[in-house]
Amino acid sequence: MTPPPLLAQGLQGFLNGARRIGLTGRGLVIAIPLVWLIVFFLIPFLVVGKLSLSEAAIALPPYSPLMEWIDGVLSIHLNFNNFLFLADDSLYLNAYVESAKIAAVSTFFTLLIAYPMAYMIARAPDHRRHLLLMLVVLPFWTSFLLRVYAWIGFLKGNGVINTLLIWLGITQEPLRMLQTDFAVYIGIVYTYLPFMILPLYATLVKLDKDYLEASADLGARPAMTFLTVTLPLSLPGVIAGCMLVFIPAVGEYVIPALLGGPDTLMIGRVLWNEFFANRDWPVASAVAIVMLVVLLVPIMVLRRAQAAEEGATP
Amino acid sequence: MTPSSLFLRITAWLGFLFLYAPIASLVIFSFNESKLVTVWGGFSTKWYGALFRDPQILAAGWISLKIGFFSATIAVVIGTLAAYVLSRFSRFRGRTWLSGAIAAPLVMPDVIIGLSLLLLFVAMEHLFGWPQGRGILTIVIAHATFGAAYVAVVAQSRLVGMDLSLEEAAEDLGAHPVRVFFDITLPVIAPALVSGWLLAFTLSLDDLVIASFVTGPGASTLPMVIFSKVRLGVSPDVNALATLVIGIVSIGILVAASNLHRAARDKEDAAPSHRTNEDMS
Amino acid sequence: MSETTAQTEIRSPTDPESPPFLQIRNITKRFGAFVAVDNVSLDIHQGELFCLLGGSGSGKSTLLRMLSGFETPSSGQILIAGKDQAGVPPYKRDTNMMFQSYALFPHMTVEKNIAYGLKREGVPRAEIATRVTDMLSLVKLNGFAARKPNQLSGGQRQRVALARSLIKRPKLLLLDEPLGALDKKLREETQFELIKIQETLGVTFVVVTHDQEEAMTLSTRMGVMADGKLVQVGAPHEIYEYPRSRFVAEFIGSVNIFEGRIEQDGEDHAVIGSPDAGMGIYLSHGITGTLGQEVAVAVRPEKIRIGKSPMEDLPNTTQGTVDEVAYMGNLSVFHVRLETGKIISVSQSNLVRSPEDAITWGDRVTLGWDGAASVVVPS
Repeated sequence: MTPPPLLAQGLQGFLNGARRIGLTGRGLVIAIPLVWLIVFFLIPFLVVGKLSLSEAAIALPPYSPLMEWIDGVLSIHLNFNNFLFLADDSLYLNAYVESAKIAAVSTFFTLLIAYPMAYMIARAPDHRRHLLLMLVVLPFWTSFLLRVYAWIGFLKGNGVINTLLIWLGITQEPLRMLQTDFAVYIGIVYTYLPFMILPLYATLVKLDKDYLEASADLGARPAMTFLTVTLPLSLPGVIAGCMLVFIPAVGEYVIPALLGGPDTLMIGRVLWNEFFANRDWPVASAVAIVMLVVLLVPIMVLRRAQAAEEGATP
Repeated sequence: MTPSSLFLRITAWLGFLFLYAPIASLVIFSFNESKLVTVWGGFSTKWYGALFRDPQILAAGWISLKIGFFSATIAVVIGTLAAYVLSRFSRFRGRTWLSGAIAAPLVMPDVIIGLSLLLLFVAMEHLFGWPQGRGILTIVIAHATFGAAYVAVVAQSRLVGMDLSLEEAAEDLGAHPVRVFFDITLPVIAPALVSGWLLAFTLSLDDLVIASFVTGPGASTLPMVIFSKVRLGVSPDVNALATLVIGIVSIGILVAASNLHRAARDKEDAAPSHRTNEDMS
Repeated sequence: MSETTAQTEIRSPTDPESPPFLQIRNITKRFGAFVAVDNVSLDIHQGELFCLLGGSGSGKSTLLRMLSGFETPSSGQILIAGKDQAGVPPYKRDTNMMFQSYALFPHMTVEKNIAYGLKREGVPRAEIATRVTDMLSLVKLNGFAARKPNQLSGGQRQRVALARSLIKRPKLLLLDEPLGALDKKLREETQFELIKIQETLGVTFVVVTHDQEEAMTLSTRMGVMADGKLVQVGAPHEIYEYPRSRFVAEFIGSVNIFEGRIEQDGEDHAVIGSPDAGMGIYLSHGITGTLGQEVAVAVRPEKIRIGKSPMEDLPNTTQGTVDEVAYMGNLSVFHVRLETGKIISVSQSNLVRSPEDAITWGDRVTLGWDGAASVVVPS
């Protein structure tokens, strides 16, 4: 495992060089990830912000510059029309509301399914626990796109579920499930289930069995113990899991595009269409900025939940 | 067994059924003779053959593998450095910002990451003439950035759990801090880095949205090709492809799991411990 | 304690006149508003085995980490062999350290672990091999060279850690709770092995420990730390028999403390009037202090005689009833309630298996101690 000494020596030489130009080894180590993230994470957002304030143009790239030198005078065109346009057209407002609704409902059902699973895994004996955890994570590692695709075969008119229902005689006519909001819910719950189970499991597994026994010893029934001990103690995991599902679900594109109907309005899809179909980069940027602002609150909640979780770890 | 624990078991197993039934059906129908996806026409491997004769899929697969390899490798370097800095340097300017920014791509919607990076690349080309056009390079940069977030999380948990006196002991024995990093820190966290690399690689192979934004002509990744096929409906050769992916990933997971198992064992030595052991000598 | 005294005489290889090998001058370490080490000065001579004894948070580990270079003093100076250590990073110091967790590199074999320091020094391969082999036999681990740390027992790991810290032949070895992770029986055996190795190599040891028995057994001299201050420095028997403060008296071993005032203070005797004890406590030596000053008298339980008959030969005697008897095998500890209500703890060696006149609960007993048995400390 020890790297060849040449590598370490080379790095040492590199560091010595860096030191000569006034950069310490420590500074360099900090600078590499910091600069990378500034260039490829922070600045892109500033560019999006800038672009959301400029005008679309039939050009390459398809927008007009924000600042221009005209006769030696710097002229700045700030254009809030894109945002006014978003506020004006009910399509966008509906898309935001619809996205939040779909994400919230899916998150609720994900929690409902994930909690008993996480609880059972956390309470399973050691050797089985690792196997079960692996079973939860395994689908997460297989292609997300292919897993969404699998549901097409499941939900469509002559798909697995309808075939099964007709064969069982529950229904005569195939049910229309694909290209409905229902399919989008299923798709989100399905793909984000591991994101909910893992943080829940992490809090539940730390929950000392002694607490439960102490509660039972003091006369609480299992249901009472669950409500007064287990649930409050697992709350950070519940919050973290919900945010980990809700935040990306709001911006989801692939699931509504493949499983949803043409009338399933989700903001990720709107952004995609603005960008690829309408080639209106400034409006797409404005859509992105508003989405970020909307997501800021859940992101803060998530960070606080995670900080609380870290604080609780001894 | 109490009724509540029975209820618990049933719901939990239904959950696992929910997770695996669609995957199982994909695998089964990939061996279906019939082109009709839900009608069983007998066993056949013809769709696998079709898959390997499809030049578009093969080309896209090769591009995706290349992108995955390079982006995961860069992600490991950036992510490890960020994790090291955050877990070992207690105070420096930009610390709070770095810890927020490195983790942000974990929750940021893909459409936003994709759009913002594309706009950056366009602006950079406009200003500096680099990167020239968009394609594999820009996808690699985009994937490395969000892969680094995952690597950093995995590496940081390992670095935090590591006994700091291991590094101090090496330094005490005369190793320069750079040397300590390569001799001690890196080997101890290596299992986490392997997992991190695999994670970044898989995420890169899987990404459709970000790649669609930052790609250019001639650089169609596998998910893009699959997506365009799938939009037209269910096609059996995609089933075959999915089965291959699932098979490869399952093997990978098994390897990673045994790797993690070993890591967990080593961790007992690397983590601070004040156990008392019987002397066996 | 005659055994300890004899041992101390044998184990004082250094000439106290020679310049001290390690000089700690007015060292202070602050973490924010918290003062971890408070103006500590200490000289340690070549070849000493010096123990820093203190509870958790007393600053002993911080002091050790400043010696090894992992912490920078807020003020003060550390000199090793006359050289100021300010600004010298750990990897350039001539000290080595043995860590509490042992810090054995989990991915290296025992041999590689031990050889690590020599490799960094650039010692030729052949020399490394012989020195590692020698070191392995010194710590009695021949045959374990190819094992990984997780294949060793706790005691073996401890010895690998010791070997690794000694391989560079440091002039000064710093040991952080070297026996802390071992169980009691193994710890006692290892203490003597550690002393033997230290004497064989003549290396100066500075040991940090919270275990007073360990400090007593190991050290040629020891320092007691509390709240970042070095409260008392001396040979183990000095610290035990002549504590200079009530804190040290109470911290080391168990002790009975009587509050009182100085009533008489002569050349060859003193009397402390103690309402606690209900009598004047006679000491067969003079003390420093003014008449009427409030002081405390400390008497160790093993220095008090307990019996049912009067003790005319002892200057200090008093009566009480036995409240508790704790049988501990080699000795018995009695809690005796005096008429004043004060409870005195007395220990007695169990010389006979089942003495006929054994003292038991409720017995009325006489306690007595010699004029030289007690020590006066500031109240």
